[in-house]
Amino acid sequence: MNIISKEDKIALTRHAIEPAPLVEQLRMPGDGAVVTFDGCVRDHSHGRRTLYLEYEAYESMALAKMTEIAAEMHRKFSVDGVAIVHRLGRLEIGETSVFIAVSSPHRPAAFEACRYAIDTLKKTVPIWKKEYFEDGAVWAEGELPPVPAETSAPKTAS
Amino acid sequence: MPIEVKVLYFGRLRDVVGRAEESAQIPADSSLAQLFVHLSSRHPGISDFRASLVASRNQEFAAWSTPLQSGDEIAFLPPVSGG
Repeated sequence: MNIISKEDKIALTRHAIEPAPLVEQLRMPGDGAVVTFDGCVRDHSHGRRTLYLEYEAYESMALAKMTEIAAEMHRKFSVDGVAIVHRLGRLEIGETSVFIAVSSPHRPAAFEACRYAIDTLKKTVPIWKKEYFEDGAVWAEGELPPVPAETSAPKTAS
Repeated sequence: MPIEVKVLYFGRLRDVVGRAEESAQIPADSSLAQLFVHLSSRHPGISDFRASLVASRNQEFAAWSTPLQSGDEIAFLPPVSGG
């Protein structure tokens, strides 16, 4: 079971992400640090000029995986609140595609948890990015998520 | 008796298949790998992607040997590129 805090905010959105309210929502009286990560759209990729991006997700699974990440952050690090919001649809250069915020009594846990969140999101959350260039579009390379080991004998359903 | 599962396609795989979702009927106790072979006969283009896909069953990553049950929601996921 995934234990997350009631203040946690896990979401996918088709609208511009507004960081300030997310940060305010996480900040508790006992917190001494809020660390944030703002992932934004770069104007180039592998030497080509990027015009814009389009993100799509397997939405139900993406939310489940993002919730798992938040639960793991609470388990591994001394953090109070977690926000993980990813945008979908068309994004222009400079816009925020993903925003992560972590509050904690002390900064080391917040930094470590935030780093853990973005690194894990990029490896395990089913979201895809299509890059549009002047001369065409490609799906970004991406990472293959780790999967359970193959078994030779059929497993019983869980 | 055959079972029916829902199959979802995303990213480059959806481009190849030409649709985001379909249903498939397969023999009971078929594995994810067997479902993929079955779908490859319907969409020959997808077999080239087999090595660069992971499978999910009911929103959880799953080994290719995982047996399927009627009503399962299956997806074959290209490398993820969120962030």
